Amino acid sequence: MGEVIVITSGKGGVGKTTTTANLGTGIAMQGKKVVLIDTDIGLRNLDVVMGLENRIVYDLVDVIEGQCRLKQALIKDKRYDGLYLLPAPQTRDKNSVAPHQMVTLCNELRQEFDYILIDCPAGIEQGFKNAIAGADRAVVVTTPEVSAVRDADRIIGLLEANEIRNPHLIVNRVRPDMVKRGDMMSIEDIIDILAIGLIGVIPDDENIIISTNRGEPVVSDSKSLAGQAYRNITRRIMGEEVPLMNFNTSDGFLAKMKKLFGIKPA
Amino acid sequence: MEQEPKSIVFKGNNEGLVIVVPEDYDFEKAKAEIEEKVQNAARFFRGAKIKVVYRGITLSPEEEEIIKKILDEKSGAVIESLSKDDETKHRPAAKTPRKPSAEPGTMFFWGKDTGMCRFVKNTVRSGMRIEFDGSVIVLGDVNPGGEIIATGNVVVLGALRGMVHAGSEGNRDCFIYALKLRPIQIRIADLIARMPETGEDDKSNPEIARIKDGIIEVEQL
Repeated sequence: MGEVIVITSGKGGVGKTTTTANLGTGIAMQGKKVVLIDTDIGLRNLDVVMGLENRIVYDLVDVIEGQCRLKQALIKDKRYDGLYLLPAPQTRDKNSVAPHQMVTLCNELRQEFDYILIDCPAGIEQGFKNAIAGADRAVVVTTPEVSAVRDADRIIGLLEANEIRNPHLIVNRVRPDMVKRGDMMSIEDIIDILAIGLIGVIPDDENIIISTNRGEPVVSDSKSLAGQAYRNITRRIMGEEVPLMNFNTSDGFLAKMKKLFGIKPA
Repeated sequence: MEQEPKSIVFKGNNEGLVIVVPEDYDFEKAKAEIEEKVQNAARFFRGAKIKVVYRGITLSPEEEEIIKKILDEKSGAVIESLSKDDETKHRPAAKTPRKPSAEPGTMFFWGKDTGMCRFVKNTVRSGMRIEFDGSVIVLGDVNPGGEIIATGNVVVLGALRGMVHAGSEGNRDCFIYALKLRPIQIRIADLIARMPETGEDDKSNPEIARIKDGIIEVEQL
């Protein structure tokens, strides 16, 4: 039986779609069967990020309304076997789907796939309710900005109210140099407020923009730091223990020794 | 003049409970109806400490004792006293000017006794609003965007970063206590205070906010 994981954030533009694409690709790279569902009806993006836009024939609403069979709407990825996408329609709205229909759909996909990743739209309205309806677990994406953290907090509360407990946190677009200068919220600050388990930190990396525009998730780029971060998160999602990366590459020998002995740098 | 009710009416006022009995009732009828009413409202009274007065009929001391016993047993409340309401005393009292309040017509009660207490066992996150007639104790944090409105005191056994209104019905004796007091805004009764926008420090000493000389003061405890 597969596991349904919703990727959500509340605020827009923090990296839900990018995260969904990369985690999905990462899981497929490990040889598992995974399907990505884009629930952002009317503002679909996941197909673009995956580079599968030109293959869409049927979509999520076609499946739910019975216009086609589920198998027909699933788009097979061009690089990895076992990776599929169920795209959102662009010309409908969020009310075309009801939460109980999402539950039915997720249960159907569970039979076939190891992981079902749901890309949630921004906001807390109908689209959000649809996206979380069938989910077993949740991954909350935020950036080190006060507004994004505030929205993440709201989302965590709503997830708890919907019986999705202990969501995991991804902090995206972290700039270690800015954190060091005190110009950006640190991971500790964020955890302090949100009080949920951290599953990964993604450094701000221009490769993300390049790969997103190309339609090739960065997780398959072995040289990129963000790609490495996504590969680590993939393994953690699949239940492995992977230590968090250290981004402070500029740390000198002394600072590393201090850290080793648990002395905070002055 | 108040309209004469057709059956027994329970009313609350700032001293306690008023039982209004229609003038044509005899003791037995009044007793039976009070018993029934109290039983229905038992959940409401449980644990409270109330003074009861009655209007409309006159009871002998023995009859008063019987009614008091019924109230004591059926309501689960502690009945401090039961007596006939002296209406002549009561009427002018209603005209005494009330202290200024945030909203006209809000209820007042005074003193340290802030009624029931509600425990919130999780963190109050953004978008959550907890309203309670009494005091609230949070076993967790109150995050930015979360709100607590209590007619009594508010105690946060964690970090208070959201908005808290204590004494929301005008009780200026109420206080707000937090292990880490970093709220967006705090309100006590009709006063509003916000934290200074600069000078964010990482000290996390327990602090208490209360009204002193007409302003909200925060001090370490």
